[in-house]
Amino acid sequence: MTDCTETMTDCAETMPDCAETMPDCAETMPERNNPTSDDLPTAPLSPRERVPEGRVRDAFEDGVAAALAMAAGEETTVTWRRDRKGVSTGWCRLPSGEALLPAARAVAELHGRLAMVTPYLPERAKERGEREIAYHFDLDGATLTLTVVLPLEWARVPSLTPIFRNCDWHERELMELYDVQVVGHPDPRRLFLDHTLPHAPFERLVPYSTFTNAATSKALWDKVLAGEREDA
Amino acid sequence: MTTKIIELGPHQLALEEPMYFRVQLEGDRVADLDVLPGQVHRGMEHLVMRRNLYQNITLLERLCSLCSNSHPSTFCAAVEEVAGIAIPPRAEYLRAVADEIKRIASHLFCCAVQANAIGEIPLFRRVMEVREIMQRAKEAIYGNRMDLAANVIGGVRYDLPPEAIAYLYQAMEDMKKPLDELYLQFANNPALMARMAWVGVLPSEAAVECAVVGPVARACGIDYDVRKKSPYGAYDRLDFEVAMQTAGDVRARNLVRLAEARQSVSLIEQCLAQLPAGPLCVDTLPEIPAGEAIAKSEAPRGELMYYLRTDGSDFPVRLKWRVPSYMNWDALKVMLKGEPVANIPLIVNSIDPCIACTDR
Amino acid sequence: MHMQVEETTVEPVRLFRINTGSCNGCDVELAVTSAVTEFDVEQLGCRYTEDATEADVLLITGPLTVKARDEVLRLYAETPRDRITVAVGVCPVSGGVFRDSYAVDGPIERYLPVDVNVPGCPPRPQALLAGIGEALQIRQARRAGVEPVGRADGKGQEGDNFPARCRLSFDASVCVDCRMCRHVCAAGAIRFQEVEGGVRLTLWHNSCVFCGLCSHYCPTGALSVTGDWRLDHPAADAFAQVERGDIPYAPCSGCGEPIVPAAPQLLHTAFRRPTPEIDKLTALCPACRQVMSIGAPGR
Repeated sequence: MTDCTETMTDCAETMPDCAETMPDCAETMPERNNPTSDDLPTAPLSPRERVPEGRVRDAFEDGVAAALAMAAGEETTVTWRRDRKGVSTGWCRLPSGEALLPAARAVAELHGRLAMVTPYLPERAKERGEREIAYHFDLDGATLTLTVVLPLEWARVPSLTPIFRNCDWHERELMELYDVQVVGHPDPRRLFLDHTLPHAPFERLVPYSTFTNAATSKALWDKVLAGEREDA
Repeated sequence: MTTKIIELGPHQLALEEPMYFRVQLEGDRVADLDVLPGQVHRGMEHLVMRRNLYQNITLLERLCSLCSNSHPSTFCAAVEEVAGIAIPPRAEYLRAVADEIKRIASHLFCCAVQANAIGEIPLFRRVMEVREIMQRAKEAIYGNRMDLAANVIGGVRYDLPPEAIAYLYQAMEDMKKPLDELYLQFANNPALMARMAWVGVLPSEAAVECAVVGPVARACGIDYDVRKKSPYGAYDRLDFEVAMQTAGDVRARNLVRLAEARQSVSLIEQCLAQLPAGPLCVDTLPEIPAGEAIAKSEAPRGELMYYLRTDGSDFPVRLKWRVPSYMNWDALKVMLKGEPVANIPLIVNSIDPCIACTDR
Repeated sequence: MHMQVEETTVEPVRLFRINTGSCNGCDVELAVTSAVTEFDVEQLGCRYTEDATEADVLLITGPLTVKARDEVLRLYAETPRDRITVAVGVCPVSGGVFRDSYAVDGPIERYLPVDVNVPGCPPRPQALLAGIGEALQIRQARRAGVEPVGRADGKGQEGDNFPARCRLSFDASVCVDCRMCRHVCAAGAIRFQEVEGGVRLTLWHNSCVFCGLCSHYCPTGALSVTGDWRLDHPAADAFAQVERGDIPYAPCSGCGEPIVPAAPQLLHTAFRRPTPEIDKLTALCPACRQVMSIGAPGR
């Protein structure tokens, strides 16, 4: 494990400047990266340009993939896309919730920086009974997204705060906006939501009207249109 | 030594926006800090899922007025990535012009507020007057002094005709001397040195651990600027150096900002000189397929990241973003530790905290 | 105005600000009116105060979030009973783009009375000064025990160098009722209604954020942005700040059904040089157009 990780670290440090210009590129659809492709969201990945194989960049991308496979199980794969400016984004769907902690540790060893956490209810969440959380990491300009698939109800994830100190607020927000329990969070208080607001306003299974003031628009517009009739 | 806990609000913190701190004091020094956000929480990540992609351009511009252009431009970049759209070269340059004008105005506002926080009122007024050159330029070119309405999906919706280019060149010329003077003043003026140097220090190891971004990181010697690390738009064709300092104190953060503002002047001049001819936008109403994408940019306060997930409809399945200020609050615990209470407003403002951005 | 000038020599009028959860645009522009000579509120004989109990004029920004509400109401309760309240920007009046969020508890009038509205997003400093000036007039009038008259000065203000994005203007004669403007409006500021003999567009300037996206996507130029920035008004007139127009129906030249005919501007956008054949389509309803084009009735 250690040998391999060191090699990865080297790769990360030898990443080339991303500013290299990209010659003419053919548009291709990147391959899906999920081993159980039936469970994938219907979303096809968008068409993307491919760049000629740059050896160093490829070594970096392969290195990240190898480190994740070693940490989270060999069925773990990363699909890399590069945009027109040569900026890489890596997409990895973890095989299980248990793979999150080891995968996050592997990213930390690669000097990854936690950039953002995106919890969401994917397309047809209810019929599939699933929700997802995407953890986005910066790897010296490249962005790696690790996605975990969780059950829609009674979802639990381990806190990443022992590995990434800055995960603190991301997880507090996750806990108040969604029905997800973060196990081992050192400070699970609400962050932004007022104490008078109901829990988890982002859960689409709850009717919107419970949480929103949709009546405001109607009340205001009734007055605007009523005023119009008076002076018409 | 006596320990006590005090609550500070926007007035005591000299902030334009509502934010509350619970500060633990040992004697008259700060021992610990609890940041209590949420006053400006408008539920925007929820609102964006109930608005279509076009409405979200305008909604996101009102996330925060100080970095208002960064949000729609980065959001549009994410939509364009999902749709496989390459925006026209002229639009890339025009987005950069808008972003850099906003960067200058934002950085100057931050420096002005700090001058005000330490009672340097003439300097506060001076910086605000210099900033007015940018405010006037924004209104003259975009029609509003804060919200530029420059971006659409697929490009921009403003152009720079020759007379506007000449006007902007002149505005840039007018900025150079004041910006150079302000840099020297923030670098060397003894009164400012006494208040800002070796104050609110963030050591570089702590900066890495807290994962700070933007001028706060670059003031600690962290060489990270999204425009260089993950080039977007026109930045791969523009010549600039990443502004850096190493001291990690209030002074260093301001020197990074003032150096960047001066560099933005150069970037705008380069954009005007290189501005390619051609269309402003690819297609009025492009088809947005199902997909997911990440887009990043260097907002005035640092790395801004958007994640967009679409299902082929006009409404996003999820649109998530992380503003640079979000990453920088935690570092205040390090910066404020051991500082006297009187330094709190200055140090808090030295991270250029954006509460509207943080709370969403 | 001369009465206020007299007053400055005695005691400045004190302005107090409350941010109820704004995007900071109005707040940053209000800071300009305390820092930049050209826009300094001193010229109106005013000065900012940090003490709510001194507030002669209260300036409110933001849509009023749920979390800010208690503190806002606490500060408001500290202000003197005879203060004049100004809603700065469209957020306090209508919520602007933030209306209908679970976290927004406005409009502010649910909780406290407002005297003057200053639409804008954010309003330019000139408009802020005009709004404060209007508040001063109301204050003078109330102190003198008379009814306030109109706003500070009634003259239309377009005549400066900057084509600022302000009041929207609607030309119903070229509207084709495609409703793209409403589709792209983030602030829900545009409504269409069926009325006698046509369709009515109403645009409410206390909800509009003046982004101009409606005008950008309008295929015929029916909606346009003007530089008229004098939108400040007594709060009692809040719901009358509308731009509207009726798009008349005309009978379909095929079957006589009432339709909105396509404007020539739309044809020029779509075809550049419309032929007489295409011209005929403009006065036909969709069903008759289909018959004319493919010669068979739709299902």
